[in-house]
Amino acid sequence: MAVEPTEVQLQVRFVTKQEQYAVSDSPYAIQSNVQSSDLNTLVNALRKETKSSFQKSVEFDFLVCGELLCTTIAEHLQEKGVSTEDTLEIEYLERFPAPTPQECLMHDDWVSAVHTHGNWILSGSYDNSIHIWNTKGQHKLAIPGHTSPVKGVSWVSHNGDQAVFASGSHDQSAMLWVWNVTRNSVDCVLTCRGHDKGVECLAVAADGTRFATGSWDNNICIWSTSLTDEDNVPAKKRSKPEQGNSREPMSTLKGHREAVSAVQWIDYNTILSSSWDHLLKLWDCELGGIKQEIAGNKAFFDADWSPLNNSMITASADRHVRLYDPRSTESIVKTTFTSHTGWVQSVRWSKTRDTLFLSAGYDGQVKLWETRSPRTPLYDLTGHEDKVLCCDWSNPSLLISGSCDNTVRIFKAKHAIESV
Amino acid sequence: MPPYKTGLLKRKLSDESKEIEDNNSKSDEDVGLIRGELDAENDSTDSEHDDDDNAASDTERDEILFHDNADSLLSDEANESLAESSDLTDSEGDDESEDAESSDDEDGDSNSDEDKPEKVKETKPTTKAESEDSGAESGTGPTLSGSSDGSKKKKERKVIKKKEFKQKPTKTKAVQKSNDSIDALANKIKETNVTIQPVQEKDEYESGDTSDEEERVNTAGAVPSWWYDEYEHVGYDVEGRRIARPPRRDRIDEFLRKCEDPEFWRTVRDPGTGQDIILSKQDLELIARIREGRVPNPEHDEYQPWVEWFSREVLATPLRAFPEHKRSFLPSREEQRHVSRIVHALKMGWMKTRKQIAEERKKNKEHKFYDLWGSSAGVGEGEGTRGVQRHVPAPRRAPPGHAESYNPPPEYLLDAKEMKEWNKLQQTPWKRKYTFLPQRHGALREVAAYERFTRERFLRCLDLYLAPRAIKMRLTISPEDLVPKLPSPRDLQPFPTTEVLKFTGHTDLVRSIDFDPSGQYVVSGSDDGTVKIWETSSGRCLRTLALGCAVSRVAWTPAAGLSLLAAAAGTRLLLLNPGAGVGAHRVAQRTDDLLADPPPARDVVMDERTAACVQWEAADAAQWARGVRVVVTHFKPLLHLSWHARGDYLAATVEDGGARGVLVHQLSRRRSQLPFRRAPGRLQCAVFHPHRPLLFVATQRVVRVYDLVKQELVRKLLAGAQWISSLALHPAGDNLLVASYDRKCMWFDLELSSKPYQTLRLHGGAVRAVAFHPRYPLFASAGDDRYIVVSHGMVYNDLLQNPLLVPLKQLRAPEPRGELCVLDVRFHPAQPWLLAAAADHSLRLYA
Repeated sequence: MAVEPTEVQLQVRFVTKQEQYAVSDSPYAIQSNVQSSDLNTLVNALRKETKSSFQKSVEFDFLVCGELLCTTIAEHLQEKGVSTEDTLEIEYLERFPAPTPQECLMHDDWVSAVHTHGNWILSGSYDNSIHIWNTKGQHKLAIPGHTSPVKGVSWVSHNGDQAVFASGSHDQSAMLWVWNVTRNSVDCVLTCRGHDKGVECLAVAADGTRFATGSWDNNICIWSTSLTDEDNVPAKKRSKPEQGNSREPMSTLKGHREAVSAVQWIDYNTILSSSWDHLLKLWDCELGGIKQEIAGNKAFFDADWSPLNNSMITASADRHVRLYDPRSTESIVKTTFTSHTGWVQSVRWSKTRDTLFLSAGYDGQVKLWETRSPRTPLYDLTGHEDKVLCCDWSNPSLLISGSCDNTVRIFKAKHAIESV
Repeated sequence: MPPYKTGLLKRKLSDESKEIEDNNSKSDEDVGLIRGELDAENDSTDSEHDDDDNAASDTERDEILFHDNADSLLSDEANESLAESSDLTDSEGDDESEDAESSDDEDGDSNSDEDKPEKVKETKPTTKAESEDSGAESGTGPTLSGSSDGSKKKKERKVIKKKEFKQKPTKTKAVQKSNDSIDALANKIKETNVTIQPVQEKDEYESGDTSDEEERVNTAGAVPSWWYDEYEHVGYDVEGRRIARPPRRDRIDEFLRKCEDPEFWRTVRDPGTGQDIILSKQDLELIARIREGRVPNPEHDEYQPWVEWFSREVLATPLRAFPEHKRSFLPSREEQRHVSRIVHALKMGWMKTRKQIAEERKKNKEHKFYDLWGSSAGVGEGEGTRGVQRHVPAPRRAPPGHAESYNPPPEYLLDAKEMKEWNKLQQTPWKRKYTFLPQRHGALREVAAYERFTRERFLRCLDLYLAPRAIKMRLTISPEDLVPKLPSPRDLQPFPTTEVLKFTGHTDLVRSIDFDPSGQYVVSGSDDGTVKIWETSSGRCLRTLALGCAVSRVAWTPAAGLSLLAAAAGTRLLLLNPGAGVGAHRVAQRTDDLLADPPPARDVVMDERTAACVQWEAADAAQWARGVRVVVTHFKPLLHLSWHARGDYLAATVEDGGARGVLVHQLSRRRSQLPFRRAPGRLQCAVFHPHRPLLFVATQRVVRVYDLVKQELVRKLLAGAQWISSLALHPAGDNLLVASYDRKCMWFDLELSSKPYQTLRLHGGAVRAVAFHPRYPLFASAGDDRYIVVSHGMVYNDLLQNPLLVPLKQLRAPEPRGELCVLDVRFHPAQPWLLAAAADHSLRLYA
């Protein structure tokens, strides 16, 4: 562009999908070198004009050409290759408020798995123990039981006083635990033995009746979460007195050629798995077959699927987080998010917002991403001093990450938009 | 008498009267004309023409004459034929003279020669009568005339010619004569007029009776007429009677006849019978038509209306009953082919039209001129550079300097010292600083003429003339072209590009690293006396096994069903089970079970030589707890360990072992072997072939390949390096990578040769480790410089295709400690990841 970007006048119109923040539709002429902060004040001023009742100013994010505005408008348009002549439609939405650091849960060893449900945080550690914390940062319980690092933990159900959770470990077993909240006593109900090598990941189905484990022996096993032993085959019962009953898998899904790095339930019948053999697979649990296979070109360390937008994000060693759309036919990678400087170990979708997700990498960063901003994350959640091994966003208001610096860090996300 | 003769006679008679009158008038005029004797014959004839306009016969005759003239003028052939047949004419002439004589003889009262016309007139009837009498003598004419038209024609022409030529002199003679006796002539003419009548009657009379005449045929046949020269007859008629030779006429007779006989010009003699035949008008017309090349029959209409019988219009009543054949309305294929062939030939220039040939011929005949002063021959484009194809300009002389100025700055003038030196170099002037003496002049006009100018200019010209000058051919090869075309590294992905993980925990140099077969764990052996087992994905140290002394080498067993790793600590080779926390429990358990009980002693049979250097012992309880299962103590410190692909054999190289430098341990039977009797040299390492019973033994300079089954040396690979440091075998087994301390990596294609296929000089320092990727076409080398080089090494199944080696990436290694930087590299078994043991006591994973 021959003209200095500062001198260009732009015709813009502000639109929003959030009705409570709507302003008049008339176009405005603005300088092209304004940034989102300037637009923010402009929109807030407009809001005050339209209705004097809005006194509290709100932080907005601005979407220009389907991408979040991070630089000046001129640079953004230049990057997108859009003409500055036309009237530009700028969509604004309330900015996701910056998460505030809350607690730091100190562990004895690396934290390799973390999961929250309500106010309870479950964390698995490399010192073979499982810990229960509440969101205030109080350590409730340390549960030894595994003989190898715990790699996956997940709450199964909360039933008043009784909470059930599952854990998977490199000692090739998954365990089902019952935690009595009031008494603060935990009991290992079942030990699930079926994997030949360490359990790498664990996921519980939405209805809480089954859970799946992925392992280094390339298999995925599906287990029942029922606490009673009725569906176990008595002949093969192998009970160990100290660990309660043992259980065989309901079914085993074989097909990966390398370690299974993540499993997730998509619906009642479908499991998503990611593996080191560069494949994402969608399994049909009933039939035990593969529904769909998505080939990447890097080993996947984690994958997460969001029911809100029906797409998957994956983590791999090459710094990138990739967004896959399983329905699209041609280019399956929709977006590549690049901001991590190293190995990305874990990714998690927001449970409430279809455009937000969390990623954790070995560069010690946890990043909060907006899918429409592939270059720049919304927020970097710093604080960890070493590799971040896991992250969790099961509780919409808590962003939790576990790291090699033996801590679990909790960030609180203020929920500005209750309507969504 | 033939009918044409009668016709001729008739006309002759009717014409004669007129002619005579004409002659009279002519003679009268000629008298006048004779004065102007110089007048050419043509004039006289012209005058004749003028006078005889009315006379039909004359016009006719003129026509014929005209034709004759035209003929004689146009074609020399006629003259030639005349010359040819001169003998004939002579003979004729003779005949005529004879005729005349005979007539003289026969008619006793023959008149004087002067009265020729008269005599002719008189003789005519007599001859007719005579002919009646002796038909045998002359009657062959008509029959012979049919024999050959051409000859006849010639004769006729000739005769007519003669007449023409002869008539003119006769006229002149007649004129001369007329001077003498015009009156007499007039009388004679009157007489002849009188005498004409009976002739006419006779003719009429005879015309009816012609049957006899026709039968007078000479039966002599086609024999030369001179055969009868000595006889009185010329042949025989049908009855065998002799045909008398007609009287021969000499030239004078001929001449006289010509003068007198107006019919002479159309009188021909039949050579067969010797009869004179006067051609009728029809005959003459006939002759004229033939001569013109027309159809002889005057009735024939050459320009009859053309009836187009075969036209495209379909006739109502066709000419032919059968339908038109197909080929009549199909173009002929054969012709078409022929024509197309010709057209093609014309188009291609193989064939030329007549016009073209003529043009060519014409062009060839034209004179060709060289452009002598044009540009050099053959080269059209080099205008103005005749003779010199590639002009090389003369080297320029250096421009004059300050010293050559007429008023040089004082520093250029020679001072006393320089002057002294100048003078000293009197004998060797070429050593002087200048070729001249710089001098100062107040003004340019004071500069004297340079006395050596002419000579120097001459020398310069001589230099230019004699110095060979040539264009220096500069080789324009850019260095980029010499570099072989290699694929872009971008296309050869995946390969490790960045450091992703750092494994820390060791407190001293990590000497050796290895992956477990699944790639989940890493084992490292360090100088701090520990073997550590790490989780690959997180860099977590899962287990530390303290072995008591520096670990020089670790190697995980390639057998999937075993959980065993070999560690070389000093002189001891320790087989470790990493234990419950690492890998599969069952496998670990099975391994323990296997190794718990030593095999029966009878199986373990080792000869004394081997037993002297190796000692197998089971681990005691304390060691068992630390993971050690079997201890093999060697006589010298261990240098290198390598597993056989099946995991039962382990090749160990000991330092300074000499002939016992390489030992092959068999795990299942807990025994060892010494494969070599003689020391091959200073041993570096020994590696098994992945699937064949081959052992690659690297000494300081050479890699030897031994067949373990046949117990023989198979090959000797000459590395061309000073000191081999390590060795890596391609997973397919046909390629070998050798690293050396002198900064080189040698790639050997075992199928190709015993010399390196390629020598890779990728490092700035000693290369300590090389590794192949088990799955991807990758290899890495690392050493004492700061870079780990990852290269693409594609080996094709096609034996004809050489391996493709492309250096891909220089991975930045951590800071070197002292001399060392990277001690070992190893690829992940499944992922394109590279693990390097750095000198800063850490392991680095590149992905």
